[in-house]
Amino acid sequence: MPISAPSIAALLGKISRTPLSVMEVCGTHTVSVFRSGIRSILPPTLRLVSGPGCPVCVTDQGEIEAAISLLDRGAVVAAYGDMFKVPCKGGSLASKRSGGLDARVVTSAMEVLSIAVENPDREVVFLGVGFETTAPATAALVSEAARRGVPNLSVLSFHKRTPPAVELLAADPDLRLSGFLLPGHVCVILGHAPFRFLPEKYGLPGVIAGFEPDQILLGLAEIVRQHEQGAPALRSVYGTAVKKEGNTKALGLLEEVFRHRDAPWRGIGTIPDSGLGLRKAYESFDAEKRFSLSLLPGAPPAGCRCGEVLTGKIIPPECPLFRSACTPLSPVGPCMVSGEGTCGAYFRFYKGDRS
Amino acid sequence: MKDTAITLGHGSGGRQSADLVSHLLESFGKRGIGPEMEDAALLPGGYAMTMDGFTVSPRRFPGGDIGHLCVCGCANDLAVRGASPDFLGISLVLEEGISPEEVSSYMESAASTCAELGMTLAAGDTKVVPSGAVEGMIITGCAFGQIRTPRTLSMSSIREGDALLVTTSVGRHGAAIASARFNLPVEGLLSDCAPLWPALSPLLHLEGLRCMRDCTRGGLGTVLCEWAEASELHFSLDEDSIPVSFQVKSLCDVLGFDPLYMACEGCAALAVAPSDTEETLRILRQSPLCGDAAVIGRVSSAEPKGMVSMRTSIGGERLVDMPWGEILPRIC
Repeated sequence: MPISAPSIAALLGKISRTPLSVMEVCGTHTVSVFRSGIRSILPPTLRLVSGPGCPVCVTDQGEIEAAISLLDRGAVVAAYGDMFKVPCKGGSLASKRSGGLDARVVTSAMEVLSIAVENPDREVVFLGVGFETTAPATAALVSEAARRGVPNLSVLSFHKRTPPAVELLAADPDLRLSGFLLPGHVCVILGHAPFRFLPEKYGLPGVIAGFEPDQILLGLAEIVRQHEQGAPALRSVYGTAVKKEGNTKALGLLEEVFRHRDAPWRGIGTIPDSGLGLRKAYESFDAEKRFSLSLLPGAPPAGCRCGEVLTGKIIPPECPLFRSACTPLSPVGPCMVSGEGTCGAYFRFYKGDRS
Repeated sequence: MKDTAITLGHGSGGRQSADLVSHLLESFGKRGIGPEMEDAALLPGGYAMTMDGFTVSPRRFPGGDIGHLCVCGCANDLAVRGASPDFLGISLVLEEGISPEEVSSYMESAASTCAELGMTLAAGDTKVVPSGAVEGMIITGCAFGQIRTPRTLSMSSIREGDALLVTTSVGRHGAAIASARFNLPVEGLLSDCAPLWPALSPLLHLEGLRCMRDCTRGGLGTVLCEWAEASELHFSLDEDSIPVSFQVKSLCDVLGFDPLYMACEGCAALAVAPSDTEETLRILRQSPLCGDAAVIGRVSSAEPKGMVSMRTSIGGERLVDMPWGEILPRIC
């Protein structure tokens, strides 16, 4: 029997005594929090900090430049829609497309297979972006392309792993977070194990929650309860969607196709073991190898404080560029570009600096 | 205009489209011969006029096709300004290779919608361009009609205290197109594409009717943001009152879209004085298209002025802003 969001909010107000800072890691959580106005009904003791879980936002400048360079070299580059507007030195996928180059929006990685088969004389590159939620689809694409021997398809894998970034934030002495609201869809794939370090190593609650406002509030209530009772644990309030062992088929695919490697996170820097590169067995589908790309971390634009926004150290209105030089129409940093970026969400939904 | 090239973002109905239009109108504005920014122009002699171009992919979609869409779009622009859809002009730009049967099928549906409205085809033009110059076809309509109300329906008539209404559930056209384009079929999801004149004309005698707008590109959210900016008043919406079908919600959830910004082609937003709100609802609900008509918010002099805010389903508060750029599906 679901409990209504206002009832959970009322309970939360009753049990929350100690001031807590809780990070919602995922961009989908961030947007749901804003769209439903959750912050405006939280008790004053509970502060929500938005984290780095927006795949567009953490894709490094250098990585996007690499994708654009492939367009310039005549390849078809297919990517999920929200990558299209991210600006870098060479423009954006959208601006290149208006200039006549062949960048295509796909909603599923498998569409890229048909694009490659239908265009046998073109190189077709899929821009693999996202966390453990989208990486299995890329793995399935690579595995299927290998099985069918599609010679003109390759993948530029910028996929990132969530747990190493969460651990970096848990260990950050400046942040002093009291707990993490963990993304339900990532945990559908990973299960519980990769986040057990939160209670076990750092004594912090980690609660896996879904994306509806009532599920988010329930997750926050569970974090507050664990704190008040001094019993940090890893718990899921995402009903039956998350199995403790995760999705073993998807995990098997990830293991088969990808290896862990160090990866640059825009605004944060390189996080060891946080990236997914293609294994040797699949290197003929690796666009980095096929096009001899050397990826250099790009420099962030001057004055942009996305790095501090992504790690919850400041909120967007504290950045001097917010709403002046940096708007959704002319974004300076990636957090303003993406619909799930923290700056974009503050821009659209936040009343605090407007009234 | 800051942008150096026109992109699809300039065509999606939000802030960027507004920037482009005002940029394009500069030459007319400085000579004092520019239009007012409403759905249709009110001309001397009691006539109204509008134009609208259509390039939709796919050309046939669940609930309609580009021919039907063209007539509805033009006729609705007149209807929301209180003018009857009387005459239509159609201009076709066809890509070589398109089948004549396909084009005539759109003419058949355009003609049938015109006949339903009592609208006459008064003028037309046809051009054929080389393969690749347009994708299939572009159809542009120009509609002309007689103003049937003594009052000027306009954003400038909106007053503090007015009720905000929608005539039906929002976002169905945009969602139906997205479902076809991204190959995500949703059972029972149809475009709302329909002529609004039969539903709106019985409202024209109401003294409290201030302003109407059909929520096309950019959806209901964009219309209300434009009204709030133009009137310099505060618009507060109640999320639970805004009718959104289950199918539209599902599709938007999957793609990361907001139903508020999804295009409609048979839905109007209305601002009505409190005294006439109930009567407006009663009249609207007599139309088979407007069973879901609802009061969704109020106009007030609260802060922040010129902006739209929303009381959410869970009792929270947030802003509603205009969409920006091309609306693209998200990663996860």
